[in-house]
Amino acid sequence: MAELDFERRLERLFAEAPELPDAGFFAERVERRLDAGWTARRWLIGAAGVVGGVIGASQLMLSNVFERVETAGDSARLLSTSFTHVSAGADWVAAVSNGGTVVWVAAGLAVIMMGFVLTRVIGEI
Amino acid sequence: MPGARHSRFASLHDVELCSYAATGERRAFGELVRRHGSAVRGVLRRMGAQSSEADDVAQDAFLTAFERIAEFRGEGTFAAWVKKIAARLYLRRLHRDRKLGAMTAEAIEDEPEIPHGDADAAIDLEEALKVLSAVERLCVTMCFGTGLSHSEAAEALNLPLGTVKSHVKRGLEKLRTRLAPEDGVVLEGRRGNG
Repeated sequence: MAELDFERRLERLFAEAPELPDAGFFAERVERRLDAGWTARRWLIGAAGVVGGVIGASQLMLSNVFERVETAGDSARLLSTSFTHVSAGADWVAAVSNGGTVVWVAAGLAVIMMGFVLTRVIGEI
Repeated sequence: MPGARHSRFASLHDVELCSYAATGERRAFGELVRRHGSAVRGVLRRMGAQSSEADDVAQDAFLTAFERIAEFRGEGTFAAWVKKIAARLYLRRLHRDRKLGAMTAEAIEDEPEIPHGDADAAIDLEEALKVLSAVERLCVTMCFGTGLSHSEAAEALNLPLGTVKSHVKRGLEKLRTRLAPEDGVVLEGRRGNG
């Protein structure tokens, strides 16, 4: 019984936190390290997003996308010419066939989206 | 206004602060560090760490706790949870520095003569712990200061359970001699200052 009492007393003694004079300073240092880690993480995520976007763009370039866009543009133009004979109201086909502008814009958006998605995924991890 | 935010968090319970911290609110976690920093540093010093070493490990423990805050379910207290993390980190550091093996293999010979406590004076736990060998100090503090069970301590120290129990028993006997030389003596914990 005395032994148990002593152990309980000892637990109480251990539960008492010592009063350290630099407690506030210690907390500030931990917060600074948390902030520094967070900033580094944000930079890392941003850099990963940029790298992802660049890789996506380079993949588009390397897959002969120029030729494909031109071919697609020619086909669309041909199609629209034939189509306007059938339906005079199908102007949207002509809009698509105006060079590869729309396709380029879509590709650019896709690259941005890829970077954004990658950034979010890394952020969640 | 950082001051206002600090005061807002100051009135919250630990569990609520943990919920905020889990959403990435670093100021809420800062409040937890403010509340429990000394307790965590204290337990590391009681385990035998030097002041600067204890502070380094305590910082790492809090950073680890922030990373793993979602794992804290509020089943025990936040302070106890961080103390366990800190104790394990400290043991890992001892192991890395090859000090743990030397401590656990430490011969029991050359035991210091245990001065008996003065029944009229309040005895400082920190002072009392100094009469324990390094491994006894580790075992006693891990079991009584961090709330680890004997088997958890044995696992963390990589020692057989029986060995840990022996170290705890021997450590308690020494502490009893120092802190409560006679039954009935009122133990009074004096708050150490480092």
